[in-house]
Amino acid sequence: MITSTVSLEQLWREVGFEPNTNQREAILHVDGPLYLPAGPGSGKTRVLLWRTLNLCVFHGVQPEEIYLSTFTEKAAHQLKEGLRGLFGLVTNHTGIPYDLSKMYIGTIHSLCQRLIADRRFYPMRRRNAVPSLLDELAQYFYVYSNRKWAELTGVSGLEDQANTQINALFSGNTSLSKYAAVTNSIALFNRLSEECIDPEIATHQAVEPTLQAMLAMYATYKNSLYTGRGVNLTDFSLLQQRAWQILDQYTDAGSIFKHVIVDEYQDTNTIQERLFFQLATGHSNICVVGDDDQALYRFRGATVENFVQFPERCQVYLGTEPRKIPLSTNYRSRADIVSFYTDFMARCNWERPDHTPGSYRVTGKNIHAHSTDHKTAVVATTPSAPEDACAEIARLVRQLVDTGKVENANQIAFLFPSLKYNGEMNGQVRRMKAALENEGFLVYAPRAGRFLEVEEATALFGIYMHIFGKPSRGNFSSTDYVQFHTWVDKAYDLASDLIHADSQLAQYVRGRKNEIETVVADYTSLLEIASRNGWDLNAPYQISTMKRLLYTAPGLSERAKKAIASAYFEKLVQARLDQGNPFSLDYILKRATSLDWSVVDLFYRLCGFNHFKHMLDLAERGEDEGPICNLGLLSQYLARFMDQYAPILTADYFVDDRFQRMFFISYLFALFRRGESEFEDAEDPFPRGRIPFLTIHQSKGLEFPVVVLGNLRKDNRGPQKIETLVQPLVNREGEPLDKMAEFDIMRMFYVALSRAKNLVVLAHFKGPGNWINEPFRSLLDDRFPRIPDFDLDTVPAATLDDDAPPTNYSYTSDYLLYQKCPRQYMIFRKYGFVPSRSQTMMFGSLVHRTMDDLHQYLIAKRMHS
Amino acid sequence: MTEEADEIEQLIREFFDENFAALQLEAGHSLAPEVKETALNQVLLYWRRLKDVASKVTDTEVRLNLPEQVSPRGRKFGIEGVVDIVRENDRTVMYDIKTHDVDSIRGNLETYEKQLNVYAHIWQKLRGQPLDETVVISTSYPEVIKEALASGDDARVEYELPRWNPLIEIPYNIDHVDGTILDFGETVDAIEDGRFYAPSQDKLQSKLPGTKTIFAVNVCRNCDARFSCRSYRTYALGSPRAVERNFQVYFNDIGTDTERDDWVIAALDVTPASATLDELT
Repeated sequence: MITSTVSLEQLWREVGFEPNTNQREAILHVDGPLYLPAGPGSGKTRVLLWRTLNLCVFHGVQPEEIYLSTFTEKAAHQLKEGLRGLFGLVTNHTGIPYDLSKMYIGTIHSLCQRLIADRRFYPMRRRNAVPSLLDELAQYFYVYSNRKWAELTGVSGLEDQANTQINALFSGNTSLSKYAAVTNSIALFNRLSEECIDPEIATHQAVEPTLQAMLAMYATYKNSLYTGRGVNLTDFSLLQQRAWQILDQYTDAGSIFKHVIVDEYQDTNTIQERLFFQLATGHSNICVVGDDDQALYRFRGATVENFVQFPERCQVYLGTEPRKIPLSTNYRSRADIVSFYTDFMARCNWERPDHTPGSYRVTGKNIHAHSTDHKTAVVATTPSAPEDACAEIARLVRQLVDTGKVENANQIAFLFPSLKYNGEMNGQVRRMKAALENEGFLVYAPRAGRFLEVEEATALFGIYMHIFGKPSRGNFSSTDYVQFHTWVDKAYDLASDLIHADSQLAQYVRGRKNEIETVVADYTSLLEIASRNGWDLNAPYQISTMKRLLYTAPGLSERAKKAIASAYFEKLVQARLDQGNPFSLDYILKRATSLDWSVVDLFYRLCGFNHFKHMLDLAERGEDEGPICNLGLLSQYLARFMDQYAPILTADYFVDDRFQRMFFISYLFALFRRGESEFEDAEDPFPRGRIPFLTIHQSKGLEFPVVVLGNLRKDNRGPQKIETLVQPLVNREGEPLDKMAEFDIMRMFYVALSRAKNLVVLAHFKGPGNWINEPFRSLLDDRFPRIPDFDLDTVPAATLDDDAPPTNYSYTSDYLLYQKCPRQYMIFRKYGFVPSRSQTMMFGSLVHRTMDDLHQYLIAKRMHS
Repeated sequence: MTEEADEIEQLIREFFDENFAALQLEAGHSLAPEVKETALNQVLLYWRRLKDVASKVTDTEVRLNLPEQVSPRGRKFGIEGVVDIVRENDRTVMYDIKTHDVDSIRGNLETYEKQLNVYAHIWQKLRGQPLDETVVISTSYPEVIKEALASGDDARVEYELPRWNPLIEIPYNIDHVDGTILDFGETVDAIEDGRFYAPSQDKLQSKLPGTKTIFAVNVCRNCDARFSCRSYRTYALGSPRAVERNFQVYFNDIGTDTERDDWVIAALDVTPASATLDELT
């Protein structure tokens, strides 16, 4: 069974892979920069996998010498799984193991975090402390907090005009909204970080006084994150700068990785480009894969020119040309789909302006289909009013499902340029949803409209309002504040109905309210004792003098007495005293008046009542996964609140409505008005039994047997404000401002069209107030195939995806966990519910990691001596 | 204690603190001081008791992979596991470190046997590496040592330590491997097909081998999803007539007093100050 050698060809045969000429060339390329423009469905993931394997197995590159970055966690996960499988295959032939955990595979952000902690990048291996990362929501709360916002606006010199001035700069109206001003500021800060703009220098280039003021705010913001005196924070954008600085400071940093490989390179921004080239300076082996036609992330600072002009950049940074190997054969879609989107893309003028050679698009791609099925695969509705067109599509979907052209409704994706308008589900989306529901389908669109408005969230938080008290409506009139309170009312009323209908739930809710009243009464009574005796709450707790008086406080509940008298706790008090780190009286009062459940515990208990339990039962029976997915997400939001603000609810949380303000008005309102971020990873596969509604951005990197493009209209409103603000501050010639929006719209529709394997359906709306973008308008002429004349029999049935790398299952955390309890596996492992008290899990990881460190150390020490 | 050993114990504490801080950040949770102490002691005592194993580990956290398996329903999958390897004088031993106690491991010997036999199979048959022995290391130290530690009497710890045998040798039996892999494949199908029913009443009532407790207490009571679980509900509420009576107890179950105390202490440890809470409002 064991052969000492194995060849690449032999391995390809074993897994049934037959690379085409260019794929093979790309896989076998070893030395020097490599430029891989890869069309949709051209097998680029496979090429990356095999190229990486070729480097390690046949060219002696060690796993820790490879840096492989991707755009999403999901893509990183797929690469890891794929590599693990392929390397496992090699090991079984040769007996040589490969430790892939040492390979850098991940999103650029996760790899930056890893790099900052990696001793190889420091002289004498003395690494810096790793900063804590503020994610987007945490960054928002950081800037929004009263103290920080006052500090930032303080340095701006805008005084009390800050909010209006900032908002005027961005949107032209003088809104007073702090929320809008904070959101605008963060967008600018992040963009400045990604463009590596030095606020000191930029302030001389900026003409606009408000922009100058905001540059000062940015400088202060940046300094506040990293003080060198204990505060060591960073955000997603600055994390990359921090990593880059480490590389910049250490001369050998460019030689640590022998190969730097970057996927989805069209979506990199300036700081990322610098990082990648810096990492590659030592060996000049940088390989970039991407598709400029699928560039979607300008709004996050991505500059597609990094990809289009990669050959020139290689000259500048490395002094050499890359080898260019286009991957142009599409293995995903039927031929008609490929020729449709290729034609679509060619109908825009990508030329550079007069007298400048070149194009804003990579030329000479020759994208073509591998499929030889040339039958009609792109079909439009009869040009008609939206209601009629939607009904026509819904009937087609019904036929596709009934005739078995798809195995499950979740294989038909509806893609839209956007799902929301002013935070709510937009009209076209709503109409399409109604038409499908009319045909008896369920839709999965948790991110259309606000997540908080899905039924599961509304019902759940409504019950929270009954327990903790409904937040009162203040005297504000902003639109989103009014909308939020409309939701609050709706949630409260919905919960009233649920509580009314379920006597056990009513009893439970009453019980919790009483409990809160009790701890508040206890707290007041204990405070009274402290104040009567003149005790300082921050002074150390003295068992001998304080305990008895607290214990006998008037009206004190049994639970508080028990907490004060606990022998177990007394031992702890003594231990802390001996350590010279005594508990304060304040701590004792909190401990005696704490609820013994958190907001997450409450969630899991409420899931036990019929209304929610039914949703979990549906998933347990494999019928409908929609509701459980939403519950899983709710557990994550609640856990986040718990971690950040309320690990435990002590009575002082209920003084002055502090909890209501914090939980409902601050936290939930922030989630409500921010909506869900558009570029969040979409789940894949989508819940069975439901038709997914996605934004085109969410569909990036995915494929579906059938794609319905639900709206062919996206208006060109010119460049985003931030582009015009930032352009004078960057010294680079990019796409012209007046072309940006047009290019972006073309690329977005291109991404949508190229997701489909077997069939694309286009919604052709016509009538007053309805139009469709060019080039759809020209393409969808009188001869274009329409649904009523379409022969469904020509559509092949969707097959199980053989191309997907086999999934790896862990013996302990999959197999044994499922063996222990399938339901527990489903809830925590499959749907990502966050456990409330994961002491066991943390305990295990802590012991294992520490033992691994110990072993690593002992091995290194032995090798050294 | 030698200087070197002392230095390593110091290092273990450093590693431990670093990992604790990182995990606290990742999980957002903390550990009660006692629990945290136990975790640290497990590593320290492992080092003290099994110094020669620890110093001889040649490959740590080796990821074993059995690729290209096919489930009964035709799905491709791979099996993964992590072990430590000691190679010395032509002798190779595979170690699997578990934080469970010796009794529960011995009680579930069949489970561990199956697992390590699959690992051994990957190592030996597929990788072509020699293997002489497979062993489970239990890091959960016995009650007597816990008491000795609590007493602060080093001599007592030194006395008890050699009397603790944390190594459980696992016999190698190739006959099981095919059956285990088949069963694994069936589980893969069940997961992918979406079969997630909770275990039966019988299983909930059954005593877990190597422990004094039943499944419902040992597993279910540590599971947040028990409140919505049909099986646990039937177990906890009893006959339909008893439901009304037991209902409150069931929904207010928050664990044992000690668990509750541990939780409160750990949570208070990471609770932000009131002033911070008002910052956003």
